[in-house]
Amino acid sequence: MRQVALNTHISGTFNIELENLRNSVLTMGGEVEQQLVDTLKAIKHNHAGLAEKVVLNDLKINSMEMQIDEECLRIIAKRHPTASDLRLIMTISKAITDVERMGDEIERIAKLVTRNKLPTSDTIKSSMLLIGERVAAMMRGTFDAFARQDEAAALEVYDQDNRIDSEYKRLLSYTTSEMQKSTDDMQDWLDVLWALRSLERIGDRCKNVCEYVVYLTRGTDVRHTPLENMAQKLEDLT
Amino acid sequence: MLKLFEHNTLSVDDISEESTAIDVRNLNLWFGNKHVLNDISMRIPRNKITALIGQSGCGKSTLISSFNRLNDLYDGCKYNGEIIIDGRDINSRKVNVSRLRAKVGMVFQRPNPFPMSIYENVCYGLKLQGVKVRRHLDDAVESALKKAALWKEVKDRLFESAQVLSGGQQQRLVIARALALKPDILLLDEPTSALDPLTTLFIEELMDELKKQCTIIIVTHNMQQAARVSDYTAFFHQGRLIEYADSDTLFTMPEKKQTEDYITGRYG
Repeated sequence: MRQVALNTHISGTFNIELENLRNSVLTMGGEVEQQLVDTLKAIKHNHAGLAEKVVLNDLKINSMEMQIDEECLRIIAKRHPTASDLRLIMTISKAITDVERMGDEIERIAKLVTRNKLPTSDTIKSSMLLIGERVAAMMRGTFDAFARQDEAAALEVYDQDNRIDSEYKRLLSYTTSEMQKSTDDMQDWLDVLWALRSLERIGDRCKNVCEYVVYLTRGTDVRHTPLENMAQKLEDLT
Repeated sequence: MLKLFEHNTLSVDDISEESTAIDVRNLNLWFGNKHVLNDISMRIPRNKITALIGQSGCGKSTLISSFNRLNDLYDGCKYNGEIIIDGRDINSRKVNVSRLRAKVGMVFQRPNPFPMSIYENVCYGLKLQGVKVRRHLDDAVESALKKAALWKEVKDRLFESAQVLSGGQQQRLVIARALALKPDILLLDEPTSALDPLTTLFIEELMDELKKQCTIIIVTHNMQQAARVSDYTAFFHQGRLIEYADSDTLFTMPEKKQTEDYITGRYG
């Protein structure tokens, strides 16, 4: 495992460009994290106003993605980066797509809150908030692992997705059985399903970013590798 | 599995004895007291382009000059170790150096056409070898100029002075002069550093074509050029071979930190 030192190039301007690029990804990540926190708060307190703010704020995240992408392109064209610098830029370019999509999933949930579409039943609300908290923790861990270029931390976060998936499956069967009881609330329950699905997808996106962190530090593409095989795969490379 | 991109997966470990054009074994070289090459061992594969990179003074030009015994021209040059080409150590006293230099051609940074016609430049080496039949010389000149992608531009003015050609044309002429002797190995010492970017691309394209016929070793300070054209790359630092790998690996995931620092422009 090798970390990319951003400030050791002979070209000071290149150092600054890479540092700014990395910081902008972390800023974008921070924004998305806050969006999720606000959305969970909006669900908890049925706060449509806060959810509206989240929907509006998503535009800012979309714009950040475009700006970072443009900066990656500019650096590639001007600096012809190689080795770890190239991996960093490719990692960032791919990661921001996932981060932007996390933003979209959050926006989708927030929109449901603005339309009072999510049920007020305490059981489902608390379950949704629980899974939401887990996803938020996973998101924090993901951005931390990226910031510190910490492969071990990335793998730890990666593992958390299993718990989110099993919680999602449990809630899915609960929701389905509720739907079977009465068809009157079918649309409401479908909205709940959408929201749960979005939270679960955010977990998957976090997993993707964790895979890029491993690529950044190792130069190895670990996508589509089951976690149980990943430790072995990385050990083989050491 | 569906294969979208056809890249040769190369590895220096796969360069067998049979596919080796130059086998360098424990080569040490001194200019006076200065130890310029320090225990270099590497196999340079046949019909591939191998790039040598490193800071000025790291020994890369000295190394390629060893491949056709050009360093013999310098007083105080001593060496030991072996350089095996075609199963023979070229450092042996028995080697006919003129014949070696015909088989291992060299092109330098600045085009150096002789002050004579284009035609005479290309067949100069052949004439030195004693070829006199005009038809043979004509054929050899045409063939070499075609291989060097210069024929179309000069075929109607073969007997004009080579000095009137542009820098890029002169460099291709010099390559044609080396090719006329049908070399097995072509050494290129920063062949495009004095040329504009478009002419550089023409020369690079030419190298890609020429590697079908001979082994190419290029010394370059242009990292992008090394990454673009070479199959293998060797990184040198202060006379030592630090890392030698296929270029895809060396430019994406070098093993040694020194290599990484050099190719990414970091403090060494």
